[in-house]
Amino acid sequence: MTKKITMDRRVCLKGVGIALALPLLDAMGWAEASEKSAYKPPVRLGFMYMPHGVIMDQFWPTDAESFLTSPPPALDSLRPVLDQCLMMKGIAGVPNGPFKGAPHALELSTWLTAALPNPDKRDVISISISADQIAANALGAFTTLPSLELATMPQTWKENQAGLNEAYYSHCSFRSPTQAVPAEINPRNVLDRLFQKREESNGQSSTGLSPLDRSMLDLVLSGARDLRRSLALTDQRKLDEYLDGVRSVERRIAAIEMRQKEAAMEKAGVRSSRRHDSDSPPIEIKIPEGDQRSEYMKVMCDLNVLAFQTDTTRVCTYIGSTPNGVSYPELGFKDQHHSTTHHNNDAEKVRKVAAITAFNIEQFAYMVKKMHSLREGDGTLLDNCIMMWGSGLEDGDRHTRENLPFIIAGKGGGSIKTGRFLPDVKGNQGDLLTTLLTCAGIPMDRPIGIATKQITEIPANA
Amino acid sequence: MSRYVLGVWIVLGELFCQSSICIAQSVDSELLVEKKADAEQFFRKQVTPFIKTYCLECHQNSRPTEAGLSFNPALDTPGHAAFSEKWKKSAARVNAHDMPPDSAKQPTEQEREMFLQWQHKVKYLSPKDPGAFIIRRLTKTEYGNTLRDLFGVDPSIANGLPEEVSGEGYLNSLSPLQLEQYLTIADNVLNRVLPIEEHPVRGIANSTEKDSLHASDTNGKLSSTPGTLDLSVFAEPPDSSEDGRVAVRKIALSLAKKVYRHPVSENELKVLLDVFALGKKNKLTYRGSLRLMLKAMLVSPQFLFITPADDFDTKTEIVPLDDYQLGSRLSYLLWGTMPDDELMSLAESGKLHESTTLKAQVKRMLEDSRSRALFDGFGAQWLGTGDLKTKMFDLTKFPEMTNELRTSMVEEVRLFFQSIVRENLGIVQFIESDYTFVNETLAGLYGLNEAIHGDAMRKVQLTDPNRGGILGMPGVLAATSFPNRTSPVKRGVWVLEQVLGDQVPSAPPDVPPLEKQDQQSVANLTLRERFELHRADATCANCHRLLDPIGFGLENYDAIGRWRDRDENGKPIDAAGELPNGSRFSNPRELKTMVAARLDDFSRNLVEKMLAYALCRKLEGYDEIVVDELMQDIAQDGYRMQTLVTAIVTSYSFTHRRTK
Repeated sequence: MTKKITMDRRVCLKGVGIALALPLLDAMGWAEASEKSAYKPPVRLGFMYMPHGVIMDQFWPTDAESFLTSPPPALDSLRPVLDQCLMMKGIAGVPNGPFKGAPHALELSTWLTAALPNPDKRDVISISISADQIAANALGAFTTLPSLELATMPQTWKENQAGLNEAYYSHCSFRSPTQAVPAEINPRNVLDRLFQKREESNGQSSTGLSPLDRSMLDLVLSGARDLRRSLALTDQRKLDEYLDGVRSVERRIAAIEMRQKEAAMEKAGVRSSRRHDSDSPPIEIKIPEGDQRSEYMKVMCDLNVLAFQTDTTRVCTYIGSTPNGVSYPELGFKDQHHSTTHHNNDAEKVRKVAAITAFNIEQFAYMVKKMHSLREGDGTLLDNCIMMWGSGLEDGDRHTRENLPFIIAGKGGGSIKTGRFLPDVKGNQGDLLTTLLTCAGIPMDRPIGIATKQITEIPANA
Repeated sequence: MSRYVLGVWIVLGELFCQSSICIAQSVDSELLVEKKADAEQFFRKQVTPFIKTYCLECHQNSRPTEAGLSFNPALDTPGHAAFSEKWKKSAARVNAHDMPPDSAKQPTEQEREMFLQWQHKVKYLSPKDPGAFIIRRLTKTEYGNTLRDLFGVDPSIANGLPEEVSGEGYLNSLSPLQLEQYLTIADNVLNRVLPIEEHPVRGIANSTEKDSLHASDTNGKLSSTPGTLDLSVFAEPPDSSEDGRVAVRKIALSLAKKVYRHPVSENELKVLLDVFALGKKNKLTYRGSLRLMLKAMLVSPQFLFITPADDFDTKTEIVPLDDYQLGSRLSYLLWGTMPDDELMSLAESGKLHESTTLKAQVKRMLEDSRSRALFDGFGAQWLGTGDLKTKMFDLTKFPEMTNELRTSMVEEVRLFFQSIVRENLGIVQFIESDYTFVNETLAGLYGLNEAIHGDAMRKVQLTDPNRGGILGMPGVLAATSFPNRTSPVKRGVWVLEQVLGDQVPSAPPDVPPLEKQDQQSVANLTLRERFELHRADATCANCHRLLDPIGFGLENYDAIGRWRDRDENGKPIDAAGELPNGSRFSNPRELKTMVAARLDDFSRNLVEKMLAYALCRKLEGYDEIVVDELMQDIAQDGYRMQTLVTAIVTSYSFTHRRTK
């Protein structure tokens, strides 16, 4: 029986305030950590997207009992880690409202916002801040990158369904209601960004980001404030995005400095609180040479794993592909993903869609299994993560969104009870995101998008 | 004495000029006042009853609002900019007999006609307004080109930045990630052009240079390497510290004027000198400190954005752009890069905004090879060939569709567009022309018998009247096809929306596409017959009646633009059709002639599309009145392309901005 609890804003704040205290103390107290105080690894949040929905009867488990023993074919690749996963049916997407003709512009843009674009300002970005960016605001200060956004294709689709801005087609992360966050599609760039390839041997970097840059940016910032005063109001808002960007780069440089100090101390024999001796060493990244889609998707998974493993960021959003028809020649057919999903129950097309879905879940499974194989603290890296895989449509053929497909993997530092399938959860996308962020200990001053409550079956103490 | 006389003449002259402008303006505004009063009355007496009778029952303030459209706010403020798009859409639906739905009370044909009239009157309710102008960040392409012009580096040095859509749908946002990339790119640039002495050159942009998308024409007039920024000033530190201060100040002024694209204010100068001092304080060399100062410029908003140079009088709500900002706006529109010395010196002398100067500059700029940016940014988007290079085709059906052929197709469209721009031809040439550009690969597709050898594109005369112009151009025809077959609907929509500027209502949700028809019963039908079956449904028929005839009129071109007389099942192609206005055609040539006869609609659409691209926003409200005015000038000059571009860059919307 599902319990409905309407979320009181104050209660929500109070609860998560306490949850937040732990990682905060950890992060601040890195230098003085004593031998005794057990270090609790931080919780990381990952999101991975596949467009166009699934073949329902090959995706949903039959019932709660058979979930672990005989899962549906789509989940085959997840079998070894199903006990680390949580699935639920009954999470409704955001109703299309006035955008009936825009299923594909909505499926991705509403996925992490749980909100519709503003119908009066369709030609520009005007939607809500997304769940991953709310998380990045809360956790970003502790890491060198507030969040990492990955994708596998350029985000420049030029189609505006129902008059909606093109960017709704290809973005799911929104830093503010008017600002879409672009994702990185080049694995080499991500690697450079994660590990500051440009550092010099003496620790001083004259290129890339350096402490001197931080002071220089300070001066540039003061100049930009002068400019701001002479601008019209709308221009000021635009410039604020710039100012915000500069400040965040400054913070990042500060975090890098701290990391460098820490590394120096570790070298000098002072034990860092962040890592246990038994922790697995950082995984290796091999940038693929060819153009196999599976290799491309996997290296992006690896980068996500590495970013979490090294605590370079605690929030990662990975758009496996955007809703504009990538194809999968590796599966033996060249059909575009989108056109295949309009299968009208044609057996051949259904088979292809099922294969594409299984392929995408396989990449997710690859990432989750890797996380499960890496030791961290008293458990595995996956134990401290909440990885959400999903699509913004249930049935791509009919564009339905009543039961969105989601797979959650990881125990979120013990906050989530896994190894379960909940066949009848009553809630929506906003409820789910709000619950997951709460489990990750993120303070929120309001529910996400259309959320009205927490989904009480998810947390471990339910 | 003579000086005194001259002075009087100048004063008199100014008085005269000003009063004549005043007279012209008041005539204009009187006319507008009249039209506004007419529009208000029209709305009260005719449109309001129409809406109350036929629309309001469903489309009113209630939840959920039917299709998200409520006429309640529009009844109070019909001229509100937020509603201008909705007026157009509802007119299109009423015109297509799509609305009111069949189940509801139907207006007479006269009433429908009246409602269509309204969309041409509503604009007069808008106050004179250049629209929201927001400081704009340089796009990835513009940023790369600007670095090329400043430093002589390859624009591919900016390749790491995220891809973006320019023009009307431009996002104009800036993420921390991008800002960080700007820092890194600035370092890469400086390492190349001003390597730090102690270290070998590092961080040179990786080997992707050869695939730069925006390399300049090799045969054009442009050759901007090395960059225009004078870096010899970095050579030797001055002897005394006093000399040093003067020298650094001078260097900062001259570099920043180029980099910021306007003269440097005291505040801006102070920031730069502070950065230099910061470098010295951190024990950087003279050269290193100057380098840091240059780096600061490259991540400053004055470089990354197109910003105003002057403080404006805060009491005025609408001001003309200052000449420097106008110069930048113009240069980024036509060249996709920073203004050159000529534009800068015209801005400095305060002459750039004068219409004769602007006109001469547009001509000069369009004839320069850098103007290919207008195609890369605007033309390719308008003609839909932007994605053709990466579009997948079914290679079992079209093994000819190689990379090489796709590239040639895009090149043909580009060269054709550019020839109309540079030779200042009438824009009717876009529809009907007797020449095009081909190489050996493309000549095969055209079935040209002449001897054309090699990869180089060259101009050829066309004798086949079905070819010539964008409607018979393989690149456009392929871009509007599915990977495995033609799409009469896509082509029809493309002609109506992109060429003629008609509003086409989007398909209602949950319509079964063609593929869903019972496969066995349709197996022996031609595509046209299957469409007619599809159109038997009344809800579909209304719109497809408009779209399909045009699309089928182009059925003689297959999905990669080859001529064919029979479809893939061997049935003869029937390209005859009738437009809703009763005019008939029987082949692509006649269809082209009919489209060309709507030159007014075509040119208005081109103006609107290009103006929206130039302004980086959707057109609304007062813009329509601006376009009306532009259309008069353009028609008077025989719809020539350069006149059209000039009209846009001298327009009120392009040359003014709001300050609030």
